Amino acid sequence: MDENIFTTVCPGCSMACGMYIREKEDGTIDIDWRKDAVVNAGKLCRFGVRLPHNLKPATSMVDGNEADLADAVAAAGTAIGDGAVFVSVGNTTCEEHLALMKLAESKNAVVNTGMGAFSRIPSECHPTMGVGIPFDAIESAKKIVLFIDPYEQYPLLVRRILAAKKNGAEVTAVGWKAVSLADENKVIGPDQYEAELVLDSDSVIIADLNPSSDPEQVMVLLNLAKKSGAAIIFMKPFVNAVGCDLASKHTEQKSFDQIIEEIDSGEIKTLVCLDTDLIEIMPDETAVREALKKLDNLIVITSRESTITDVANIVVATEPLYRKAGTVVNAEGRLLVGSGTGTDGIDAIGTMIGQPVDLFSELHAAVLATVGIDSVDERVIPAYEKPEYAVMEASPTAEAVETALVYAYNPFLWNGIIDDNDFVEMNLDMVLANSLLKGIPVKLTSDRGDVMVGFKVSDVAPGVVLSNAKLPVTTGMVTSVTVSR
Amino acid sequence: MEIGDCYIGWATDEEIRSKGASGGLVTAMLAAALEKELVEAVVVLKKLGEFEAIPIVTSDPEEVKAAAGSMHSVPIVLSRYLEYGTKVALPAKPCDARATIEQAKRQQVNLDTTYIIGLNCGGTMHPAVTRKMLETIYKLDPEEIAGEEIDKGKLIFETKDGKEHAIKIDELEEEGYGRRESCQYCAINIPRMADLACGNWGVIGDLAGKGTFVEVNTEKGIEILQNAIDSGAVEITPADEKGKAIREKVDSAMQKVAASAHAKYLAPIEGSHLDYYMNTLSDCINCGACKTVCPVCACGEAAKCTDFYSQALGYKMSLFHLVRFVHLMDSCIGCGQCTDVCPVDIPLTHLYRRFAEPLQEEFDYTPGVDMRTPPFFGVDLIED
Repeated sequence: MDENIFTTVCPGCSMACGMYIREKEDGTIDIDWRKDAVVNAGKLCRFGVRLPHNLKPATSMVDGNEADLADAVAAAGTAIGDGAVFVSVGNTTCEEHLALMKLAESKNAVVNTGMGAFSRIPSECHPTMGVGIPFDAIESAKKIVLFIDPYEQYPLLVRRILAAKKNGAEVTAVGWKAVSLADENKVIGPDQYEAELVLDSDSVIIADLNPSSDPEQVMVLLNLAKKSGAAIIFMKPFVNAVGCDLASKHTEQKSFDQIIEEIDSGEIKTLVCLDTDLIEIMPDETAVREALKKLDNLIVITSRESTITDVANIVVATEPLYRKAGTVVNAEGRLLVGSGTGTDGIDAIGTMIGQPVDLFSELHAAVLATVGIDSVDERVIPAYEKPEYAVMEASPTAEAVETALVYAYNPFLWNGIIDDNDFVEMNLDMVLANSLLKGIPVKLTSDRGDVMVGFKVSDVAPGVVLSNAKLPVTTGMVTSVTVSR
Repeated sequence: MEIGDCYIGWATDEEIRSKGASGGLVTAMLAAALEKELVEAVVVLKKLGEFEAIPIVTSDPEEVKAAAGSMHSVPIVLSRYLEYGTKVALPAKPCDARATIEQAKRQQVNLDTTYIIGLNCGGTMHPAVTRKMLETIYKLDPEEIAGEEIDKGKLIFETKDGKEHAIKIDELEEEGYGRRESCQYCAINIPRMADLACGNWGVIGDLAGKGTFVEVNTEKGIEILQNAIDSGAVEITPADEKGKAIREKVDSAMQKVAASAHAKYLAPIEGSHLDYYMNTLSDCINCGACKTVCPVCACGEAAKCTDFYSQALGYKMSLFHLVRFVHLMDSCIGCGQCTDVCPVDIPLTHLYRRFAEPLQEEFDYTPGVDMRTPPFFGVDLIED
């Protein structure tokens, strides 16, 4: 009977779907549907529904041994010196991210949000790349072009797109796999977008921006929106990626590829990760693991147990997102605040910078000031300035391979969770050409070795093997593989 | 007091009387049950906003009192929150009561320790639809709403300035608003399967709006009502024949409306049934929310519908749903929860009803109205 109920958002992606979490006496949790939530009317995708099965709280650790939070904080405070590199992709609140920024500033560093595209694309584009359009606006679009697979990547967009179709919208999907709700599915290159898609100011482009996004491709999409007058929204895989981007104020940052390279070369010796698991996020898991071994200090400040907490020198365990005080900003730019009041994470970081108390209020005020509002109203999206930008020169380069293993990014994959997603998809021609048999796993071979994995026949482009889960044979966003029985 | 008796009752506490619906009888009974330790806990909706509430299981009478008042825009079934063995009471719409009884058949709920205070129900509304309806039809800001009630076929919203805004429910539903689809064709308005059946139908004369009509259906009903009387929390007076007749008349009229909606929404499928189901289910993202929220499902994680399904399968129609359609044929109560939570807006309740109704009609079996077990559970289930 003794339970705490939190109004919160799903941590699965930048939709930031409203939900309740019931925390029971024994520490286990249940989810419940918040039907009055403005973003999702209480509806949740599989990631949200399965959250109680997959959300594991972190444990504070120092050098592989369980430790008190205070001891872990003290150890982290000592270990973080000048030259440390900080990362936070947006799996926590704006306030906690700001706290990390203060800590980074005290070491003459910045917090890297991992979106390498921001550093490669002119700053006047950043507001458009950051804050998208209201989800309601998708429903009133006349034409929608999808550069995502909404069913896999952002499932709560499906109902918005279906509503748009009911209102007469025409939907075109561009991607590796046919999207069943699309009127037309196209496998076309960036040089064909303008001619093939025929967009105008009543159109909406829905795309994805993640740490592995090719900046040149992002520029192509920005150009497409600019030239046609179409609205564009870049969804992000992290619940508060937009908030962290706003808080970071577009400071000059490194991409995660750069960070891994610099760790590999010995330039970076201390890495501080705030609710960010590079092993899960980066496509080449093996390379990241090898690089992290070269660090003197891997310090992970996190609310959940994940792959990176197993290899960290110090883990500072904070409260789960639903218990945290503070705000997140979703892909629409909507500020959302839960009923959590916890400030363990902020207090821990505050202790490291010598400000152990009252940091939250200061940081929350800073968040509101950054967005230009006095208080949070989840039903009102603040007004964001989106300056004009010029069309850019952009030439995305697709790696030419005969058979490409490509990730179908989804919330489970970003969080390193296997949940009925451990199979690959390929078209019937590929299955027949390789004499694959139903029920018998397919063998995928790359330079990294081989792996046996289940497969499913889907309407996937020729030469593409789509994976819904991380595979050890992967070397990048696109991995050349051979397929056999 | 005897089973079958009908009374008009009200709370003696002025605050509960004014805050609770129709004299606050139900709130007073629930609070008294806790105060006099008839039960250990009460399941109620904790109000978080005009269109938002969360079920809580509480042993604090003050939380029960704070939950007073009807909330037609919070369509939640409370039976999911009951724990086996806990002596508990709950206010129950007919679907709450029916789901509780179905759970009892599956040994998830012990009816001997569960007091079901039934509430008459003409239907509930999804909060998102209610907000949109307020903006587009009523031309009101949802944030200005201070209360709502359904009276004489009208949905009435009170705004913070004290004004009332009423529109006929028929008209709202013509425009696609109003009650959830499953509520529109639900024919069970008075929860006679509950220990008590309470509501404002049949309260006439000076007591209209100030009292609750209560029909005693079980010994437990007598117990919880008598407990509240003995503790001084409520007062009752026998219902008169005219009131009883009016109550039946309202119920009968509601049933006719439901039958008409049923004919409209569940008209025979035109064309290929296979195409119909495949198309309707084509957007399913395999979230499992429909199963998780289902108040009659007692299978847990190792369920038939999930055991026979994997996303890696190449079927064009989900085996998960096909198994569930069949499995729920004898237990679906049409509560609408699955439709509410479906992230891609598949009208799941509608589909489940299409499977369930022919079987339930053939076996003359209505789930959740008594402890009779479903046809597939055994033999000789149709009583002569």
